[in-house]
Amino acid sequence: MSRTRKVATTAALLAGVLALSACGTNRAESPSGGGGSCDTSKGTLVVGFIAPLSGSLSALGLGMKNSTDLAVNQANQACKVPGYRLALQAEDDQSTAQIAGQAATKLSSDPNVVGVIGTLNSSTAQTTAPILAQKKIVQISPANTNPSLTQGDNYATAPSRPNATYFRTATTDAIQGPFAAQFLVQKQGKKAIAVIDDGKTYGAGLAAQFAAEAKKLGATIVAQEKVGEKDTDFSGVIAKVRPANPDAVYYGGEYPVAGPLSKQLADAGLNIPLMGGDGIVDKTYTQLGGREGDFATNVGAPPEQLASAKAFIDAYNAAGYKEPYSAYGALTYDAANVLIDGVSKTVGNGTFSDASRAGLISAVQATNIQGTTGAISFDQFGDTTNKVLTVYQVKGGTFTPLETGSYKAS
Amino acid sequence: MSTFLSQIANGLVLGSLIALIALGYTMVYGIITLINFAHGEIFMVGAYGGLATLTYILPTAVATTWYFALPIALVAGALVAMLVAVAMERFAYRPLRNAPRLAPLITALGVSVALQEAMRVFYPGATAALPFPNLFIEGAVVIPIGDGVVIRYTGILLIVVSLVLAFGLERFVERTRLGRAMRATSQDRDVARLMGIDPDRVIVLTFAIGGALAGVAGVLYGSYLRNVNIDMGFQNGIFAFTAAVLGGIGNIRGAVVGGLVIGLVKALGGQYLPGGTAYDYVWIFVVLIVVLVFRPQGFFGESERVRA
Amino acid sequence: MTATRTAPAEPVAPAPVRHTGRNAGMLNALAPFAKIGMVVGGVLSVLGAYLAWSTFVLNKGAFPERSTLTMFVEPLGVSGYRLHLTVLGIAVIVVALLRIPARHRIVRGLGLGITFVALLNGLWIIVEGGGFGAITASDGTVAFGAVVALVGGLVTVLFAQAGGLEPRPEWTWRLPWWAEWILLLVIFAIVLLLVAEVLTSGGQGGVVNPYAGVVFLSLLAALAGAFAALNASGLLGWVAVVSERHRVFSVVVLLVCALALPFTNAGTEYWMTVASNIGVYAATAIGLNIVVGLAGLLDLGYVAFLGIGAFVAANLSGAAASVIGIHLPFLLVMVISSVVAGMFGAIVGSPTLRVRGDYLAIVTLAFGEIFVRSAQNNIGSLTGGANAIPNIPQVAIGGLAFNESITIGAVRLPSGVLYYIAIVLLVSVVMLVFGNLKYSRLGRAWIAIREDEDAAAAMGIRTGPIKILAFLIGAMLAGLAGAFFAHKTGVVAYDSFRFLESVTLLSAVILGGMGTIPGAVLGASILFVLPEKLREFSDYRLLIFGLALVLIMRFRPQGIIPDRHRKAELADTDPEDVAREGPGALPTEVEP
Repeated sequence: MSRTRKVATTAALLAGVLALSACGTNRAESPSGGGGSCDTSKGTLVVGFIAPLSGSLSALGLGMKNSTDLAVNQANQACKVPGYRLALQAEDDQSTAQIAGQAATKLSSDPNVVGVIGTLNSSTAQTTAPILAQKKIVQISPANTNPSLTQGDNYATAPSRPNATYFRTATTDAIQGPFAAQFLVQKQGKKAIAVIDDGKTYGAGLAAQFAAEAKKLGATIVAQEKVGEKDTDFSGVIAKVRPANPDAVYYGGEYPVAGPLSKQLADAGLNIPLMGGDGIVDKTYTQLGGREGDFATNVGAPPEQLASAKAFIDAYNAAGYKEPYSAYGALTYDAANVLIDGVSKTVGNGTFSDASRAGLISAVQATNIQGTTGAISFDQFGDTTNKVLTVYQVKGGTFTPLETGSYKAS
Repeated sequence: MSTFLSQIANGLVLGSLIALIALGYTMVYGIITLINFAHGEIFMVGAYGGLATLTYILPTAVATTWYFALPIALVAGALVAMLVAVAMERFAYRPLRNAPRLAPLITALGVSVALQEAMRVFYPGATAALPFPNLFIEGAVVIPIGDGVVIRYTGILLIVVSLVLAFGLERFVERTRLGRAMRATSQDRDVARLMGIDPDRVIVLTFAIGGALAGVAGVLYGSYLRNVNIDMGFQNGIFAFTAAVLGGIGNIRGAVVGGLVIGLVKALGGQYLPGGTAYDYVWIFVVLIVVLVFRPQGFFGESERVRA
Repeated sequence: MTATRTAPAEPVAPAPVRHTGRNAGMLNALAPFAKIGMVVGGVLSVLGAYLAWSTFVLNKGAFPERSTLTMFVEPLGVSGYRLHLTVLGIAVIVVALLRIPARHRIVRGLGLGITFVALLNGLWIIVEGGGFGAITASDGTVAFGAVVALVGGLVTVLFAQAGGLEPRPEWTWRLPWWAEWILLLVIFAIVLLLVAEVLTSGGQGGVVNPYAGVVFLSLLAALAGAFAALNASGLLGWVAVVSERHRVFSVVVLLVCALALPFTNAGTEYWMTVASNIGVYAATAIGLNIVVGLAGLLDLGYVAFLGIGAFVAANLSGAAASVIGIHLPFLLVMVISSVVAGMFGAIVGSPTLRVRGDYLAIVTLAFGEIFVRSAQNNIGSLTGGANAIPNIPQVAIGGLAFNESITIGAVRLPSGVLYYIAIVLLVSVVMLVFGNLKYSRLGRAWIAIREDEDAAAAMGIRTGPIKILAFLIGAMLAGLAGAFFAHKTGVVAYDSFRFLESVTLLSAVILGGMGTIPGAVLGASILFVLPEKLREFSDYRLLIFGLALVLIMRFRPQGIIPDRHRKAELADTDPEDVAREGPGALPTEVEP
């Protein structure tokens, strides 16, 4: 075949393969029909979203995207922002920092963007926060847990807020870990605890905070191990932990690993409870192997006691998304509502322009609304003030709330 | 002492799984000198095939009784994996039979990525891990040494099935006509053609058998660990390749021994070597590098010229 | 294998064409009507451009007041795809009627362009409109534009093929040096404007602008068709020869053009960021090109060197999370990163001396995985583990931070432009290094090792140290890029350096063309720009990537800009060029 043909064929193939992908795309029809009753004369405002939508973390990212979509659709139907229509623009960051930077730059150069919901990984947030801050665009994260994002590099000794536009609805590990330790050590009387984490920011941070508090309360950490985030075979870790005779295992990480880990603990003869953070609370936890008697902490009061949480779950299921809302769906829904609420307060009956951005930041800072996990408001660093945590236990195949309390430093 | 024995048990179970996958690698390399990067994904596809059968095709009553569900799932997983493997050979590798070494390697990488993503996009719910039922008797054997060494029945099943299949494969390759044809083709394809063997059909057969074995391994893996996810193919694939190299690539017995050794290295390395379980699979890579540098023909391979 | 003429070709009465091979019968039957057929095809394309393309206007999507298919309903707007179809169609008619050498080949290129423009836009309408009715007839409205244009394109291609594809002409015009210089200037300026146009075509995609992806693809298809036609006419080859003659001038002009990108309409902060990332990966890919392309050593863990360079830079740049609390000037940091990465390159290279081919690929993959795992576990507290090393200070020269916008006279350049300029200079340096190496004794030694290691050893080349040198130099270049990456992205995390990134780098090198300098840059550009422009397909990105790899290795393994050696090695023989030698000639199609 001649060179021209090869070039043309390549170009043709490339275009063809790309064109083929167009066949497979079927944009979901957003139920905008009902929005016809709202006044949208002033135009459209865009809610940005950055999270991993492809690759290994896509399960979490897609759940987050759907939750944001739900919030945006509900706002449109309720004509939340007078005169404007809201639209969601979701960008994939492939869980890598440089692509997140590109996504953030792209969103920040669009004058219609009011705020960004995201990201999932703390490392991607480190890149996006300064870029968005430069343009005074609000960023609300439902999932970042690294304390330095809100309290600066010296968060332990001299906390100072690096970006006035960055907020988060997720609690930092500094609260959840010690709370769990207080429960496990003081209330459940566990004295020899094995701590395992998955090496990621959330899990490692949580496990470290737990271990520190547990030691302070007098328990011994008999083992501190790491597993891989993609591991499914824990026989090595378990065999290593067994001789130390732990009476409980604390796991920092998410449910796809926690479930099988729990089951394999039992299989190896270790009939001790596993406890985790909000990352393991998911309805497939028991299907994947979680056992009766396992514990977990979750942010906020139990959904059964909060009408808003139940409303979210029902609405999400009714909307028929392909993926479940996964670990961060509820928090993302809250973050989106915070943003929408802030926008509607700032816009009022006027218009949204660059000058309104400063007002939006103050409005978000002053938020006080009811979310799926309780009341939402932010402290001076942008962290959520919701220190209410609930301990759950698996009973009858699902996580049932055991007790609720606020974290108090010991 | 009991920890040591527990880790040995773990290592053997994992190792027999790796051995099953390694058999596929070693056969394919022996016959067309191609490292089929996508073989790990075949393993994953087989597991999902078994899961799909259990979830969507079988009625719940059958799916929950192990002596029906297990053989059906194994056969289903093997079939699905076999189909994918044969299709892969036909469309991705056969046109590149005479191309320089780089082309099939990159193609294999591409197939591996494409298979993983196709599963993630098209299988309902596959973006996250999916639960897999235990297809064997619950419970374990507890050996009363020290704190007790626990070996689950499913683990024993895994070891037994792997050894039986490996033995069966060796018998097949050594004793039957088709097996002889496979050996002949792997030694010299053109002369085999002169002897009346159709190398294309033999190659298809090789891929099919390798695929079937990987599919069985996938279903057993899901059954043992109680879940499957789309990432399970990549890592286990690399372990299996290491095992195949360790034992001598192209050598069936070597693949089995290599697999067991790799399993033990992972388990014991995670237990006793510095860095703990976080670095356990790093030790496997170290073994791979050492073997390839100092004895590339593996334990059982002949000391021939290093293949380019 | 290609006809050479010393002057512009005189019209030659075409020898009767006899097709052999596949479809011979049909092609032979159509051959006498080739000219008419091509003209008809061109007319159909132009006609199709002015018909309506979609039968109804949809009221769905986030912006019902801007119905999704309006772009296709405006009847007489001449822009975008309509313009492309018009231009291509008229070109087809003109070329078909005139006696231009290689006319059938040119027309075929144009026809392919038309076909793909029509196909892309038509498919998009079908998908958005929910069925074939959207481009044919529904509810009383007819809109056959897409169909007509598609048929026109296919007819053009068919008849061009039937007319018999001539060999690609080689022109040997020589103009006075100043004329050639002006010509090169003009051509490179046009290229710059085209690149800027491609990058910004369709506007910034998003929920406010649903057309962005299809406009971009359609433009690419049209440009590909035009490119194929120019290539077929031999003009592109001639320009390449001219630029070879004035190599230094060409390089300088290209550099100036690259630096002028911020002044075009692609000079936005967004594109500066994307371009900077492309630059980082291009520099790394050129380093990989040394290892894989020149020396033939398959390396599947290469991104680890980029990572090592980045982590070293992160630790030495005064980031609060680094344990080595020193802040060194940027250039010094780059040098140190480069050296450290080079050392690791040598370390990785040494045990692999006895390993070849596929085994080498696996060993390097193993090293890459060891790096990722160690980085994830915060080995030596140098990598921050899961927390990464954040907040790396921006590079600042004379108090001017690189991520700020600067104003030159009356022109306000976007923020990040200084990073862009820096990376352009870096890539130029890397390309210079690569170019010099390739034609040096060392480069020849690498190529010899790649072709046949044993023969090279027999010729007296000390293969061991030379292979280590390949790893070392390649790793040094990657380390250099890594230092830049650390500052530009501001955070260095282990998950930027996973196996998939290595595969992407390798694909960039292969896609662009192994062993050539512009190849790696082109490959990196394509692999970065496409996902950015086509963000609506992000769900399928990796799937498309995997399939594309398979297809490229099947149909064009030598890449887009092939190295001469590689082409001879990887491409099939060219049957078209021997087809016209008479009755004893080889068949048109050669079975691979």
